[in-house]
Amino acid sequence: MAHEPANPDPTANQGSLEEQLVAYLDGELDDRSNRRIEELLATDSEARDTLERLEGTWDLLDNLDRAHVDEVFTKSTLEMVAVAASEDVEQEKSEAPRRRRRWSLAVSAGMLGACAAGFLAVWLFRAKPNDQLLEDLPVLERLDQYRQIDDVEFLELLLRSQEELFPEEVGDES
Amino acid sequence: MLEVRDDNAAAFEELMLRYQGRLVTVLEHLVHNRDLAEDLTQEVFLRVYRARKTYVPGAKFSTWLFTIANNVACNALRSKSRRREVSLEVRESGPFGARPLEGMVLASSGQLPARQLDKTEMRDIVRLALKALNERQRMAVLLSKFEGMSYADIAETMDLTPQAIKSLLSRARVNLREVLEPYIEHGDHPVPKNAGH
Repeated sequence: MAHEPANPDPTANQGSLEEQLVAYLDGELDDRSNRRIEELLATDSEARDTLERLEGTWDLLDNLDRAHVDEVFTKSTLEMVAVAASEDVEQEKSEAPRRRRRWSLAVSAGMLGACAAGFLAVWLFRAKPNDQLLEDLPVLERLDQYRQIDDVEFLELLLRSQEELFPEEVGDES
Repeated sequence: MLEVRDDNAAAFEELMLRYQGRLVTVLEHLVHNRDLAEDLTQEVFLRVYRARKTYVPGAKFSTWLFTIANNVACNALRSKSRRREVSLEVRESGPFGARPLEGMVLASSGQLPARQLDKTEMRDIVRLALKALNERQRMAVLLSKFEGMSYADIAETMDLTPQAIKSLLSRARVNLREVLEPYIEHGDHPVPKNAGH
């Protein structure tokens, strides 16, 4: 539970007394600070005097002139804004073809890029019949010889007999 | 403002009619020159028009407008002071470190006897007192006094915190009091009370 100090100091941790009095005059204090200032003002004649003097000099600012502007000023401002607006439109117009050209270039470049990417993808991933032919080339070269042999077992048997009968030739071949 | 954003010219004119006098008032007291204030007001409206598409619905228009005005005025004052090559240092603790006001007021009103100040003289003295504040204090005072803005709105306009505005306005009002009281009470020239700060 929060305890109120016995003798609250309205300015504690809240800037100078003058700062608090000015904020009080401006209606910028919260309820609690407002009450504290009013308590102080009720008991402290010096604070009351400071408040009155601050308020008095602030009221003197009412003597300052308020500007009155005539129609000429309004008209010239509007004309200036209108000129600026038309300049903006002109600039927009003059930049439009350049922007369109930039846009077409960007679209063309994009399309070209997409084509290149598509070509690359097809080239990388399409089936390659030539590669398969190259891989099978040694077999194809001896296809006629292989056709005279019925099965692989016979071929292996032939190879083993060749090794036994002509070891030098096999060694030379390898 | 939403209609202005949607390119409604009549709405823009309406907006101008509503705010142009207020803008000229604030800017004139900020830059101390009517012609420059009018030029800056036109510049502000031009910027409003050009930035109309960026206006966020729900944002307080006056805060948005005076934020632009503050930026425009700050730029103008900066370039003005660069042109003059004059350092306009105003100490935060008091508005008249080297007592510039004394000379200005003397020039404005002559030797002031202890008498009732007439309206014109009073206006001139108040204007000089306002001039003695630094730029930020002056802007905060003008927005508070003429526009009746809250600390939160002034803070948004000037890109500061509400606490900073509270301190700024407090110092400004104390400075104004120090300058104006001697004139009002005795017709004396201003003497800083807390020159030691």
